[in-house]
Formats: sequence, structure tokens, C-alpha cells
Amino acid sequence: MFDMMEYHKNLQASRIMLVYSGPLWAEGIGGFANTLKKRLEYDNTPLETSQEVFSVFVEQMNNMLMYSAEKEQFSADELHSEAPKGTFVMGLKGSQYFIQTGNIMSNSSVDIVKNKIDHINTLDKKELRKYYKEKRLENDNPESKGAGLGFIEIARRISGKIEYTFTPYEDGYTFFTLIATIGGKE
Amino acid sequence: MAYKLERQKTDLTPYVLIDEENGYMKFEGESFHENVFEFFKEIREWLNEYLKTDFDSLTFDCELKYFNSSTVKVLLCMLLDMDGSDNCENITVNWITTKNNSIIIECGEDFEEDVENIKFNLIAN
Repeated sequence: MFDMMEYHKNLQASRIMLVYSGPLWAEGIGGFANTLKKRLEYDNTPLETSQEVFSVFVEQMNNMLMYSAEKEQFSADELHSEAPKGTFVMGLKGSQYFIQTGNIMSNSSVDIVKNKIDHINTLDKKELRKYYKEKRLENDNPESKGAGLGFIEIARRISGKIEYTFTPYEDGYTFFTLIATIGGKE
Repeated sequence: MAYKLERQKTDLTPYVLIDEENGYMKFEGESFHENVFEFFKEIREWLNEYLKTDFDSLTFDCELKYFNSSTVKVLLCMLLDMDGSDNCENITVNWITTKNNSIIIECGEDFEEDVENIKFNLIAN
């Protein structure tokens, strides 16, 4: 049996507010986003912070949808019968919010993602706004799902830099973790 | 017959109204569907046809509270289509938000710099 009491204690001790692991699809993400919104209201989070948290959350979800290499057969939506899988936790550390996401990605995506984030992490907020503005006009493929702006948007809203880890998974795959911290100081 | 489209808002997609007869388009609410391109496809198709006609005026009220980065791209494409049309001087875009919504205001300021020919009003109440 899954140890619910230990789980409860761990989540409380780490001040986790929201946890999920499983298939990701648009309407499901809409549901999490609503839960998140209610929770931020409950906590009386200042509007600016709650907008930052919400924005980072949505972009992290979209990134997982784009890069997760692990799929689950899924029938809630006939158009998307295969849903990418991912895990996220969101919580508080000091007075800051953190959102961590984890997903399996194909090794061929690792360098692309790493280079994108490393470059973004060299820019300050003003440079990020400019870079974002330039990138909006550039397109690979206007029909492609992602606008390629997600990591830049995250970097604009967080305090500090985007943190990440890449851990070898099974053959040909890597486990990717992204950590974003938002709001006031620790 | 003049095209008319009204879509109610959902958790992920905004309220949309297109009233061709009155040269009016409005988006309101939030937009963060993973596949925004699909959501806006029909709207963009209508817009591109309408922009080719000899219309008297087009007013676009954009009153979105939150949107994801993919939506930014779609909005920019629509604004640039408007800005590049023959009838661009008859187009007014009202970017409507609240004073405390700095994310939307910044995005509106950036759009304002992207367009040259249409009237773009940034309204922060």
C-alpha cells in the first residue's frame, strides 16, 4: 500500500501546494490552472506575483507537452489520443513560489533545450524583453505548436535564473528537470 | 451574408466575437490552449479575406487578461496582417487592460512599436 501518511508529512514539510504526475492535455492543464488560480487567491497573493506564477506554470506545461518523449494512450480527447506525460510540483520556499517540472526527453532534444536555456540565462530582464520581441517575428513553422518563446517568457517572470538538470535515463533518453522560482526574496 | 462568429470563453480560450456587418472584432478573457493556432485558424482566415475587401472600418477590441507565448505570436501575425493591408488607415485596435496588469501593458507597448499604419490605442484603466 502506498504510504499516505508519509506522503502527507513530506508534502507538508516541503510546503508543496500542487502535485501531479501523468498525462498532460490541454483541458487537464486548464483544470490545474484553475486550481492554481484559486489557491493563489486563497493565499492573498499579490496580483503581480500571481500573474508571474500563472504565466510560468502555463509555459512550463507547454514545454512539457512539447518535449516529453513519454506518451500515454489516452481517450478523453479523440483528436489527441496520445498524451505526453510529465510531473510537476509547486510549493513555497520562504516567501517565494517554486515550480519544478520533470519529464523524459529524447537525447536528441537535450542540446537544443540546454543551449536555449544557457543563452537565455546570460540575459538580464531588459535584454530578455528585447530578445522575446525579436523571437516573436522569427518562425520556424507558423503551424508548429510551440512559439519557441516559452523559456524566454519563463526567464522574464522568475527571480534569478532558470535552473535545470539533465539525468541519464534509459537508452536514448534523458530525464529533464526545470526549476523556476518566483516572487519575493527567500 | 455578413460573417458572424461568437464563441463563449472556456478555461483555456477567450470569448470571441466577430461581427463583419459592423466591422467589429473582440477577444476577451484568457488564452492559453496548447494549440492556439488551431483555435484562431478560422478567425485568421476570415480576417485575411475581410482585409482584402473595401471595408469602411474595422475595430478590434482586445481585452485579454492573460495569454501564453503562443498566443502572442498569433496576435502579432494578425496585427501585422492588418498593418499591411490596403485599407489599414481604417483599422483601429484597442488594447484594453487594467493599470495593474504590467505584463499585458508591456506586451501592448511592444505591439504598438510593431505597427505603423493602423491606429493602436493602449488603454489601461
